[in-house]
Amino acid sequence: MSLEEKKQAVIEEFSMYDEWLDKYEYLIELGKSLEAYPEEKKTEEKLIKGCQSRVWLDYELKDGKLYFRADSDAIITKGIISLLISVYSGRTPAEIAADDFGFVDQIGLKENLSPTRANGLVSMIDTIKWVANDTAAKEKMADQVGHDDKAVLTAEDVAALQPLYADVILALKQVYDPEIPVNIYDLGLIYELNIDKERKVSIVMTFTAPNCPMADEVMHEVEESVKRVPGVTGCTIELTFEPVWDRSMLSEEARVELGLDYEEDDYGKLN
Amino acid sequence: MTVEEIRNQFPALAETVYGKPLVYLDNAATAQRPLAVLEKERRLASTVNGNIHRAVHKLAIDATEEYEKTRDLVADFLNAGSREEVVFTSGTTMSINLVASCFGEAFIGEGDEVIVSVAEHHSNIVPWQLLCQRKKAVLKVLDIDEFGGLEVGTLEKLISQRTKIVAISHISNVLGLVNPVSEIVRIAHAHNIPVLVDGAQGSVHEKVDVQEMGCDFYAFSGHKVYGATGTGVLYGKKKWLDAMPPYMGGGEMIETVRFSGTTFAPVPGKFEAGTQNFNAVPTLQEALTLTRQFQEDVEVAQNEWAITQYLLDTLSADPRIHIYGVPRGTQVKIPLFSFSVEGAHHEDLALILDKMGIAVRSGQMCAEPLMDRCGVTGMLRASFAPYNTMGEAEYFVKCLNKAISMLI
Repeated sequence: MSLEEKKQAVIEEFSMYDEWLDKYEYLIELGKSLEAYPEEKKTEEKLIKGCQSRVWLDYELKDGKLYFRADSDAIITKGIISLLISVYSGRTPAEIAADDFGFVDQIGLKENLSPTRANGLVSMIDTIKWVANDTAAKEKMADQVGHDDKAVLTAEDVAALQPLYADVILALKQVYDPEIPVNIYDLGLIYELNIDKERKVSIVMTFTAPNCPMADEVMHEVEESVKRVPGVTGCTIELTFEPVWDRSMLSEEARVELGLDYEEDDYGKLN
Repeated sequence: MTVEEIRNQFPALAETVYGKPLVYLDNAATAQRPLAVLEKERRLASTVNGNIHRAVHKLAIDATEEYEKTRDLVADFLNAGSREEVVFTSGTTMSINLVASCFGEAFIGEGDEVIVSVAEHHSNIVPWQLLCQRKKAVLKVLDIDEFGGLEVGTLEKLISQRTKIVAISHISNVLGLVNPVSEIVRIAHAHNIPVLVDGAQGSVHEKVDVQEMGCDFYAFSGHKVYGATGTGVLYGKKKWLDAMPPYMGGGEMIETVRFSGTTFAPVPGKFEAGTQNFNAVPTLQEALTLTRQFQEDVEVAQNEWAITQYLLDTLSADPRIHIYGVPRGTQVKIPLFSFSVEGAHHEDLALILDKMGIAVRSGQMCAEPLMDRCGVTGMLRASFAPYNTMGEAEYFVKCLNKAISMLI
């Protein structure tokens, strides 16, 4: 069944029930019949933020398609996520990334949930979208590198490298700008981050000012921090001032950290 | 007063949700408001809207009179020693924050100790935590027993030379048991330690006499005693209020302002900086009069007692249900029931009950440490008011059973 057909089927199924209690009954059944989720995967990392009840979502990429598994301690939430999985599991990342998830509104799920639940639902959808987008982006990147035979990354390689990307980002977040109390990653100093098949990391980065006297020291610190990540076999850093860094590159976290939310025009560049 | 007579005063109770009559059982979160309160706020906003304490024109004078008359009535409601001991706030949370901040500023230093109980609302934990972080003081915790009663016997051991204040709820918003606050005050005062009582639930159900109780501070919210939201009270003994620095700086809390230094207005003005909630605060007159009527009415008491007994019996007879806060001996339990159901998640239950027209609370109920203490991620809570009927209690039980059978 195509994605469109499947969505239509769900909408039809849902419209069979007039009463919301019956719809809940249907969701509860879906929740109860959801494939068992491994206990060891109930980790903080797999936990979806924004749900009052707890939801864990795990995924894998197989033959170019994403497969999701999930669990929740609340059964109606589990039913909702089961519904999402039945629609989106087994689709290609590109297909999911291009979808607008509008069918969730069509079956009236969002407005019939309490705000906390609705937020949870939005978080679940956001997570699925993020996974799809992220995987699709990595695949595209792999295709580009693919012209060089040695560097060819299959979709499986990309999936396998994903945890390493997360670890490297974490390592980058340990390095702080010498003048601004925000880490270099959230400051937006990292322009490119690639990990090849041999697990060598290559980084293209910048500084807030071209004449930063601490540049060498910070680059050294970045290299050391990344090399310490288990699994990483090497790290090369390329310095660039093209484009020139500006405040728009700050992450949301960095903005909050620096209290820049409401003073957009007051400061200009941070150097 | 019969339940019907009471219900007629509360327009919200005639509402339907999803085509079903509303059964409102989330009174511990906020109570519905009677016509007298709704009309009062509307009348003040439309006919007496002048900023209080400042101008000499008629509207300002009338608004000020309404506002200050309320202070007399609140002082009377609590049996405070004087009207100066009544400070208006935005609610219990602000009242407690004010004490934590100002009492803390004046009297708590590095290494000093504050005692709270494990069953406190976040509003009576977090302000003290913030204070302790700021002052490098220590927060100590009084435990509960397996039935949810406070371990008052261990308070003596918890108190040390460094203890500067004890902050405890009159009635926990989760357990619904009336705490022996007078005894806690007696123990604390024997060591010259002042006591703050969080009366958010207590002011609704118990006739509060702060002089008899002996507490140094008593905090409560207007919206839980049928008044307008955004209103609240801090009662504080004058000697403490006088000794505490102001909370916020601004208009009306000052005596003279010079750049060389500012002197402050006497209490309670010192703690009421800026424009006050003067359209809403006077609704406390109607609200507290009604609350007191409820507290003294025989029929209301009988109805509440019958509902409490019925639910305690029915819920505790069900082996799938675990109730938190079970009264023992002469301990009083208000009609507030927090429980968990084995195999059914509290949120699922609340969601299904909602579609049956029943408003209950699910989750941690702003008392995460208590949830941890009870070993649960959350609970379901049904809390009743004098306008709830026995019929509603029975409908709640019926629907709860239906919800459980859907989930298990």
